[in-house]
Amino acid sequence: MDVVLSHIVKRFGPLAANDDVSVRFAPGTIHGILGENGAGKSTLMRVLCGVLAPDGGEITVGGSAYARLNPEAAGSLGIGMLSQDPLDFPPLCVWENFALGGGPVLSRGQATARLAAVCARMGFVLPPDGPVARLTVAERQQLELARLFDRDVRLLILDEPTTGISPAQKEALFAVLRAFVADGERVVALVTHKLAEARELCDTVSVLRQGRLVGSFAAPLSTPAILASMFGSQAACAAATPPPRPDPVTEAEALVVVENAVIADEKVVLEPLSVAIRPGEIVGVAGISGGGQEVFLRGLAGIAPVVAGRLSVAGRELAGRPLTRFLDAAVHYLPASRMEEGLFPGLSLLDHVRLAFPEQRDAARTIFTERCVGRFRLTNQPDSRAARLSGGNQQRLLLSLVPDDTRLLLADNPTRGLDAASIAQIWDHFRERAAGGAAVVFFSEDLDELLDHAGRVLVFYSRALVADLRSGTYDAACVGDLMTGRVAAGEVRP
Amino acid sequence: MTRRASPLVRAGFSLALAVAVTLAIVAAAGAPPIDTLAVMAEGGLGSGQAWLRTLSALVPLLLCGAALCVTFAANLWNIGVEGQITMGSVFCLWFLRVAGLSGLLPAPLAVAGSLAAAMVGGLLWALLSGVLRTYGRVHEIFSGLGLNFVAMGVSLWLILGFWKRPGMASMSGTEPLPAELWLPALGGRPMSLVGLVLAVAAFGLVAFVLNRTFFGLALSAVRQNVVAAERLGLRPKRRMLAAMALGGALAGLAGGILVAGLYHRLIPSISGNYGYTAIMAVLLASGSLRFLPLACLFFAVLTVGSIQLPLALSLDSSLAGVVQGVLVLTLFAARRLWPAGTTGSRGGGA
Amino acid sequence: MSFEYLTALIAAVLFAAAPLILAALGETISERAGVINLSLDGTVLFAAMAAFAAARATNDPWLGLAAGGLAGAGIAAILGLFGLILGASELAVGFVLTLFCRELAYFMGHAQARQPGPDLGALNLPGLSDIPLIGPALFRQSPVVLLSLVAVGLVWLFLMRTRAGLVVRAVGESPLAATARGIAVTRVQFLCCLAGGALAGLAGGLYSLSVKPGWGHPQGCEGAGWIALAIVIFGGWKPVRVALGALFFAAIQVAGIALQDVLPGLSGTLFQIAPFPVMILTLLVVNLRRSAAFREAARRVPVLGRLVPRTAGGAPGAIVGALDKGF
Repeated sequence: MDVVLSHIVKRFGPLAANDDVSVRFAPGTIHGILGENGAGKSTLMRVLCGVLAPDGGEITVGGSAYARLNPEAAGSLGIGMLSQDPLDFPPLCVWENFALGGGPVLSRGQATARLAAVCARMGFVLPPDGPVARLTVAERQQLELARLFDRDVRLLILDEPTTGISPAQKEALFAVLRAFVADGERVVALVTHKLAEARELCDTVSVLRQGRLVGSFAAPLSTPAILASMFGSQAACAAATPPPRPDPVTEAEALVVVENAVIADEKVVLEPLSVAIRPGEIVGVAGISGGGQEVFLRGLAGIAPVVAGRLSVAGRELAGRPLTRFLDAAVHYLPASRMEEGLFPGLSLLDHVRLAFPEQRDAARTIFTERCVGRFRLTNQPDSRAARLSGGNQQRLLLSLVPDDTRLLLADNPTRGLDAASIAQIWDHFRERAAGGAAVVFFSEDLDELLDHAGRVLVFYSRALVADLRSGTYDAACVGDLMTGRVAAGEVRP
Repeated sequence: MTRRASPLVRAGFSLALAVAVTLAIVAAAGAPPIDTLAVMAEGGLGSGQAWLRTLSALVPLLLCGAALCVTFAANLWNIGVEGQITMGSVFCLWFLRVAGLSGLLPAPLAVAGSLAAAMVGGLLWALLSGVLRTYGRVHEIFSGLGLNFVAMGVSLWLILGFWKRPGMASMSGTEPLPAELWLPALGGRPMSLVGLVLAVAAFGLVAFVLNRTFFGLALSAVRQNVVAAERLGLRPKRRMLAAMALGGALAGLAGGILVAGLYHRLIPSISGNYGYTAIMAVLLASGSLRFLPLACLFFAVLTVGSIQLPLALSLDSSLAGVVQGVLVLTLFAARRLWPAGTTGSRGGGA
Repeated sequence: MSFEYLTALIAAVLFAAAPLILAALGETISERAGVINLSLDGTVLFAAMAAFAAARATNDPWLGLAAGGLAGAGIAAILGLFGLILGASELAVGFVLTLFCRELAYFMGHAQARQPGPDLGALNLPGLSDIPLIGPALFRQSPVVLLSLVAVGLVWLFLMRTRAGLVVRAVGESPLAATARGIAVTRVQFLCCLAGGALAGLAGGLYSLSVKPGWGHPQGCEGAGWIALAIVIFGGWKPVRVALGALFFAAIQVAGIALQDVLPGLSGTLFQIAPFPVMILTLLVVNLRRSAAFREAARRVPVLGRLVPRTAGGAPGAIVGALDKGF
């Protein structure tokens, strides 16, 4: 199937998320849409699958042109999308999710029979009667794929499909995609910000930057040329050379001591775990969805209670204590969903400063100018509301609200959805904090990023801490195997 | 249409639509529409007496409206205002019986103390709702509503049992208090100037607390994002309880003024729907303290005016509530049809 | 306790529960689709008035009941118009509607107050009503009991066993995912809101035409809608459990009346308000039981811990935390 996007324009207020973008998806190919976060990739794909209506341009599918599509029309044309977070119904059964395929709702008998047929064809194992909530992210992806294959999708769009799954699961997914286009008729559109992935899988690539199409490449894909078009020539050098990996810290006395602690979140209870973290360490916490790594971070932050065992920070016993005690002990947490858990959308930036530093609230304006603007390069007006901040500026504001004397900084996906400049600033800042004697513990869904920046990696699998690795003793494949339980910790080569 | 004009346009649209719908409802009930409105206006504004009655209805409405502004500022649906008024009046009468009737305290002190007791009564009743919300995960809509019924039961039980009139229990209330235990009246009418002064003062206090203090800023933080407030160490549960306590104390004060200043006894359903009417007034003013007094005054006129309906036209006095409901609904519609631009970031705008 | 007394007790509980069951089932359908209809109490009261007035005008109680259902659907349509189409806060509109409908019911029903009117009477199905215990309780009794029990089965069947019910549940769990799969979310939600309102309206009709016959100010069913709203939470949004919850509250009401005979010293009003503190207590118990802290503590108890579910059952995804968002 031949699909062409011509001169697509999509505006959100004054911002042009897509500005005159033209892309052709040729039959039998895997086409990569590359670009850093905020480049307009997802917007373009949502236009293509009918979720968003474009402000200009047209979509040509198999020879007929459309000014816009809706989800139903896109579905009947054979366009289907696998979103980054699986768009399914977790409490419903697997077969029920499958039955709500997009066309007429299937009966139970039809749904189970057709699901079994697709699974047999693709090599998936999906028992039809359990709730989807119990599946892993990779299995939920497979269920979505099974649903789309059953509808005979001709153009399959995948939005960052490798976040949250292991390298081995990624390989399996790529094999499925290659088989999908093997008939020379069907098409895959792969949205990603990772060049390596595109090089591994794609036949052709379109690069977006700030809403515009800045380059098109065909295999063999050359790294420097694509990087230059993704980031502009100067930033490309910075993005290409990863910063030196911090050395493991082994001498200092432990700052955080966890002994047989049981951390219980609202939904998840972790197995008892013990670990010690020293000042100056930057620790990455690895795990796939459901592994328990986020719960571990929240437990260290005092948000998820430690119901048994010990947790002490700088000598203060904190197990079972309220969150305010953790703050007193200079433990701070940066949430992954910054607006939902960290900011007050209707309050001004100045009010945020007043709330974070109540004793100095009369000097809020000075603090804002010196700290938020001067040190953290926040570019917004002090009286503007937090709801208007971009993702990068949200994180800058949150970082500027964390006091300087913080001993333990916990960060859940600190760079999610940010542009390259913001990401670089955040890692620089973490290294600065660590050099100043604080410990930084972070989780990133992006395993490559995690391994680039962590001096030590704690691996979680199935709600338990399964490995504690010093930098230099592991590689991505080994951590990936540990994350998905393919090998136990004892089998890791030294 | 400019952005500045839109509040006026909205108000005009909703008022016109509300009048039209009300007239249709009145006509549907088989009553003369224009005469009905005339009776209500006359009853609420037509004479000096009517004005005094309206002002005496305005006092509890203002107090409850201020109470609701505090709790809405913390994102709490304080539906239990009715019960808090009732418990305020129960505590007030209890104090007057213990300290005033017995001669334990001189009359003025007993009256002042009874108002303080009323505030404590409302505060405790509201805290019960607040604790159920913050520590028991029971939403304050359910606890507040349930406690309204319970408070009504308690007052009935006292009226018909413990505090019944000598010889006979009566639904007309407890034995009236002696005149020296009344709040000073205005112009010989059952309208207490002290109550009005207290209500205005309470209103000013709430405006100051919400707009000028750190507590007010913390409350709006809790309303905006309770998770973020918790993470910043703002202790949202305590802030919510404090907001409930302040709101409850104001509602309780309203109950105290109803006993000491208006009825001079405890009667069944003493809260007289003021709690619910105040919620409507706050919704009509969209949580803005600036427009609230006007909304309260308007609703006080409606409430007092409708009392004449059963006698004059043999209609049910609940027409006041009907008009209030229609007005708030049409305003909701107008607000969605002509959405406003940016609203204030703190204190008010809900 | 004699056998006859027990039979009478069961019959009384089923009778008192019938309108609660219908109202709570209506709210269950509505909330399962992701619409919280907070106007339930006003809906029940207004529909009770409308049903009684229509029954008097037509002299047919069944036509009156139908009018009650229509009135309920009408109020739900207002909620749907404001909440789903205009995009106003469902909760604020629902709450205003509940106050508005109550006042409107008293105002419009002024002429009907304390007037005689038709009621739904009683069944006496030969044969079936001779079955011991349940015969008299179900078949020699007001038809509303059978009606409510049949409704439980139908609603369960609809939600859990039909394709349309699957679509409703999917919409309530994730409107976003449903939209992506081409489901007309707003239409489904509007229809469920209407159906829920109609059931609540029928509940009002059951009150004024059978359970508490007649109209007045007060009518006697004030507060029932709030109880029904709490029952939906208590029953975990599952039709059969919701019905059991309604029976539980009806049993409390009946027990109050029965105790009044035994303990005449206590005032009748106290028994009238008894369901409300019980409502708060049940919500307290249910919500604490669903909390993580409780589950974690309970799991540490030997043997008993195994009975505690590992995950929290709970509200449909679309309305989780909706009450905490404010207006």
